[in-house]
Amino acid sequence: MDRAVARSHGVGRSGGANIIAVFVVVLAVALPLLAVLIRSFWIDGSFTTESISRILGSSRTWRILALTVGQAVASSVLTLAVGLPVAWILSRFRFPGRKLVQTAAMVPFVLPSVVIGVAFATILGPRGVVDLRGTWWAIFAAHVCFNLAVVLRVVGSAFSSVDSSLEESAMLLGASRLRTLRHITMPTVAPAIHSAAVIIFLYSLTSFGVIVLLGGGAVTTIEVEIWTRATRQFDLSGAAVLAGVQALTVVIVLSFRSPVGRPRSARSAISRAHIPGSAKQWAAVSAAILAVFMISVLPLLAILERSLLVGEGYSLAHWRSVGSATEGTGLRISPTAAILASLRAAIPASFLALALGIPAARAVAYKPNGFGSRVLLLPLAISATTVGLGLLLLSTRGPVDLRSSSVLVVLAQTLVALPVVVRSVAPAIRSLPPALGEAAELAGAPAGLIWRKIEFPLIRAAVMASAGLAVVIALGEFGATVFVARLGEPTMPVAIERLMSRPGQAGIGQAMVLACLLGLVCSVIIWVIDWAAGSSSGVSLGE
Amino acid sequence: MKRISDYLRHPRGHRVVVALMATTVIVAGACGSEGNDASQDPADGDSTEGAEVVLVTYDSFALPEGAAEAFEAESGATIKVVAAGDSGAMLAGSLLTAGSPDGDVIFGIDNTTATEVLDEGLLEPYEAVGLDGVREGVALDSELGSLLTPIDTGDVCVNVDTQWFAENPDLDPPATFEQLASKEYASLLVVENPVNSSPGMAFMLGTIDEFGEDGWLDYWGELKTHGVKVAPSWDDAYYNDYSVSGGDRPIVVSYASSPPAEVVFSEGERTEPASEVALDTCVAQVEYAGVLAGAANPELGRELIDFMLAEDWQSALPEANFVYPVTEVDLPESFVQWAPRPESPIIVDAVVAGENRNAWIEQWREVME
Repeated sequence: MDRAVARSHGVGRSGGANIIAVFVVVLAVALPLLAVLIRSFWIDGSFTTESISRILGSSRTWRILALTVGQAVASSVLTLAVGLPVAWILSRFRFPGRKLVQTAAMVPFVLPSVVIGVAFATILGPRGVVDLRGTWWAIFAAHVCFNLAVVLRVVGSAFSSVDSSLEESAMLLGASRLRTLRHITMPTVAPAIHSAAVIIFLYSLTSFGVIVLLGGGAVTTIEVEIWTRATRQFDLSGAAVLAGVQALTVVIVLSFRSPVGRPRSARSAISRAHIPGSAKQWAAVSAAILAVFMISVLPLLAILERSLLVGEGYSLAHWRSVGSATEGTGLRISPTAAILASLRAAIPASFLALALGIPAARAVAYKPNGFGSRVLLLPLAISATTVGLGLLLLSTRGPVDLRSSSVLVVLAQTLVALPVVVRSVAPAIRSLPPALGEAAELAGAPAGLIWRKIEFPLIRAAVMASAGLAVVIALGEFGATVFVARLGEPTMPVAIERLMSRPGQAGIGQAMVLACLLGLVCSVIIWVIDWAAGSSSGVSLGE
Repeated sequence: MKRISDYLRHPRGHRVVVALMATTVIVAGACGSEGNDASQDPADGDSTEGAEVVLVTYDSFALPEGAAEAFEAESGATIKVVAAGDSGAMLAGSLLTAGSPDGDVIFGIDNTTATEVLDEGLLEPYEAVGLDGVREGVALDSELGSLLTPIDTGDVCVNVDTQWFAENPDLDPPATFEQLASKEYASLLVVENPVNSSPGMAFMLGTIDEFGEDGWLDYWGELKTHGVKVAPSWDDAYYNDYSVSGGDRPIVVSYASSPPAEVVFSEGERTEPASEVALDTCVAQVEYAGVLAGAANPELGRELIDFMLAEDWQSALPEANFVYPVTEVDLPESFVQWAPRPESPIIVDAVVAGENRNAWIEQWREVME
């Protein structure tokens, strides 16, 4: 209790400017949503429920909603089915290269969805191993790849924290393996499984890039339908209503989210993990390694392979041509231009996200269940396509026409990165010893000085990590950017999608090169963050 | 307790945040202005020397190089092409940025979507020089006609793989819409999604013309029962699914001009087309150009549209984009030989299409998805 009091005192110390930051963040997120809502009800200046009844009255809308929710459930179940055994094996056995396998499984999670989409399009596309494009199977495969890390991270640490002496005692007392699993292991890991399932469900529910690239126009979810209506059917009002439906669905899901604490540290478990003793155990370990290789590594290698494939042989031709737009690709700008466009947007967007996110995090850090924290959860409920659509709607009616500049892309990426910045900085601020600041305050130090000399240096690592995350998110952002990017200045993910949408053309090689570069840059940034922060910060997107 | 006033009294206190924000504003400003410079520089340049006219069009448009050079020699301005996805994405995207466009001229709006330009003030009215030389029946009436200038026409028709049908002699190539839905051709046809693809839309409108508002959905139901494949785009259908390109479907919705394209693109490998056209399944498409409202160089834009109707451009179009000119110019040999114009293609009225398109798309999706 004393600690809580001390901490709430800290809020007062951090002052009104931070509250303003929260307000700005909320406004920034709420405005696009508001624009979407307004567009649902107002057409040509008058109030109407025509769009609402048209969209909600169509059986197709409900079918798509059911499909969207259904595929998210299926994705969660499949990921758990694959991930739980792997997580269990990786937490129980020690073997050479274990750390490497764990890292390999983490990589897809930090990659932009477009890169994952490209990876599976090469394997499960028209020129891949089997052509599953346009089926749900290709999408499930990509979702499992993307989300495997969530299971390994969240459930893996829970597995490690199961007291193995308890399990052993139970078995010694005659309990069967199954019974032990049910009564000893499961109760310990169940909350973690639940938590992982909800996270995967949410990601799959708002999945966009993967479905656009793999769905081949035949597979539709609410996200894709918003995009189709806004950019293909000249139906902005319909898109707006669907964005509202989407946001509502996510809010409902979030309200079911159980208040699971942070996953317990896996550190103590390492000693308990043992070297496989029997051939059976070695087989299990091999199976886990193989699974991670097939799911997390192979698809990414396929991108690299395809980037080198020229006609029937291999060469660096696609890599050498990054400076020029290839004839017949449809896209008339070079990959280099797309890279520059990405950097021009992602760097200012990351700065903006930090400038707004850090003060907001300070304001809410000490009250994780307070109103401010709840409000800052709001952006999670708003999908990237809604942000993009909302920004576009705002800018067509706004006082200043921002559409001709690249400012909208910067804003879109800022909005998508903001919640992650807040959520990754807030815990670091919360963990500051309150006594430090109080002592300084009693000694008469002004708040700014305390922040600059004491607090900021202590959370510098977390700020750097969130800066890296913000850059990764901004670089890979697709769902919102695709609405607002100017035609002549596509960012890397937008350029990749454009190139991939024209099969049989010269552009595929360039798409692969761009996907390689984008994947590589994001992996390196995350690796540096991880390396700089020990393994403690880790990958905490959206947790 | 510190309040905002404390921050004001100690402005150095939040130097980091201020610095961050300042940097952001500067960087963002620099990026923003850089983008603008790139597109507006030519306009600021003296008269037309070194000027640039920006043509917004669909991805697959190929600039007729020779004609473009002739335009540059005549006007002193270079043509910069901005590709905007397929034609549907191009139009929808342009509507979203109406008044603040990505270029000066938009080309590739067709008669199935033409009425969309009436909303949002997308285009500026312009009556092109040379409009009176345009073939009868392609120019639009009234307000639409004042905004859109016809540039070329094409015919969306069912194409069949001649070699495949030679190898399967017990099956004749289909000749009509009706036949396509019959059991013999089950799982042999690939069409394009009308939501995304303009040939897909033309084909769908063709079925509505053929079977009427009461019968067309049943027809699509039949197609679906017999395993029609709906590809997301023409590229997908033609390059992935059509058996001529290595796919497994010998019947595809493509263009009347696809056969000469097959010969020309093979660069000597083919001396004969691989496909034949079912001329009774053709739907006429007219492609229009217009001057974008708010363009940086409207004057050059109008000049470009005039030039698109001039002989250089019109006679270069067929072999660059496999479309028919709208003025009376000679057709290239490949067209004369392999791309006979269908005698009586289905003509889609732009206004009727505009009024009903959304409802028809919804109905189509209800049946097919």
